[in-house]
Amino acid sequence: MWKLIAAATVILLGVSLPLDSWQVTGVLTVIVFIAHSLAEISLRYVLRRLALFLPMLLMLSASIPLVAGFERGIEVMLLILLRGTLAFLAGLWLIQVLPFPELIRCLARLRVPQAMLASLWLMHRYMLTLWEELNRMRQARRARRFTPPRWRSEWIDAAQLIGMLVIRGFDRADRVHAAMKARGWNGRIPGNTDDGV
Amino acid sequence: MHVPDGPLSIPVCLAAGVTSAAAVGYSLRRLSGELADRMVPYTGMTAALIFAAQMLNFPLLVVPTSGHLMGGVLAASVIGPWAGCVALTLVLLVQCLMFSDGGLWALGVNVLHMAVIGSIGGYFTRNLLWRMWGGGTRAYLMASGLAAWLTVVAAASLFSLEFVLSFSTAGLDLGRLATLMVSVHSAVGVGEALITVMSIAFLLKHRPALLQHSPAEPGTGAVQTSLIGGLTIALALIAFLAPMASSLPDGFEAVAQRVGLQSLVSGSQISVLQEYEVPAPVSGWDQWPAWQWASTVTAGIGGCLSVFLIGTLVARRLAAYHTT
Repeated sequence: MWKLIAAATVILLGVSLPLDSWQVTGVLTVIVFIAHSLAEISLRYVLRRLALFLPMLLMLSASIPLVAGFERGIEVMLLILLRGTLAFLAGLWLIQVLPFPELIRCLARLRVPQAMLASLWLMHRYMLTLWEELNRMRQARRARRFTPPRWRSEWIDAAQLIGMLVIRGFDRADRVHAAMKARGWNGRIPGNTDDGV
Repeated sequence: MHVPDGPLSIPVCLAAGVTSAAAVGYSLRRLSGELADRMVPYTGMTAALIFAAQMLNFPLLVVPTSGHLMGGVLAASVIGPWAGCVALTLVLLVQCLMFSDGGLWALGVNVLHMAVIGSIGGYFTRNLLWRMWGGGTRAYLMASGLAAWLTVVAAASLFSLEFVLSFSTAGLDLGRLATLMVSVHSAVGVGEALITVMSIAFLLKHRPALLQHSPAEPGTGAVQTSLIGGLTIALALIAFLAPMASSLPDGFEAVAQRVGLQSLVSGSQISVLQEYEVPAPVSGWDQWPAWQWASTVTAGIGGCLSVFLIGTLVARRLAAYHTT
């Protein structure tokens, strides 16, 4: 729980500080970097995630000078870039130090309803399974094609793969539901302990 | 598509979070009544498959990036609006807290944009359009596509509003920002609409029983429904497109400029019609960025309602004339 609160606090401070108080922002950034190194998060991972994140943030913030004019917009743009990067780094630390069972406990303490937590467990169990299934189907489809993919066929493929995934996912949900019922599922999580699940 | 922390201020995030929490809570209450024990596996599995489907990238034509599905309308078509909203909330929660995709404080904003507007809004918009267009399979697909497009555009315009409220001191012009956001997301929405329609068409062909409604059933097609539906859509379009109308020159002005009729356009009788705005009741309100938008929308809705009333009355008279 304290990890979630710590990250939320750092982001809260980082997002609400004005551009003038860059000293505090600097201190916050140093704290985030120390936390990163204590958690032994590799620099390469951080840089790779930043390389994916920053262009998106840049595109979003560049719309401000476009809309409001350069002089007024540039300050807001810098502010967004600075805050966004700091908040992203703090979030990156959080996801690295918060394993799934702990996350569920945090959410239970935050009074997230039981039904939602149980669904979250099930989603966590099957999301990578379904992603692998989707990749397998895509690979098989590509192997059966004799022409290089074009944008039109890629779109049709994507839609059909998603449709197929829905069908397979629901068949699987039927089976899982039957298996759960066979084990005495009545809509509540069995073996309920005080920490939520 | 996921809003990170930074662009929006904390009060705006909190307001969006409270709204989302209320909507998700209501969805859960709706679900607990019906089939409570089925809800968990089906919602969880839908969340898992929407998560997987969102990771599937496909190339976009114009922009050198790749797009992905958001899936609000698709999820709602399969398990209904309330479970769809909960499932998409779970997807966003996992993306935020396990993959750092979307901000921690901005989670409520993202849930509002993609789960509440995407699933609940998309579902009811689709059903409204579908019924209005008389039911049937083709209308179902077309309505799904339009609803998917509208959810993306609605989320983009809502984001512009949240953004302007977050930086109220910077004095951003909501109309111009919304114009930029809506025009970019109109293109993104076309991708969402295409994928949604093609996936639903695939389901219709191979497993129609999975869809909530059987699209083959004929719609009621009642005149009242289509009247109310048409009015609602017109009002919704005004709310989204009014900012564009206020900041872009309309077709007449643009043409006049090109042909060199500027002197004529700037003449007296046309300039009266140029500003579709309600004057601010308190001096200084017109400085407030949202006022311009609100006044344009109010003026638009007023105009739309009066045209609607006049049209209905004329149609009544004509119908009476024909029957007698």
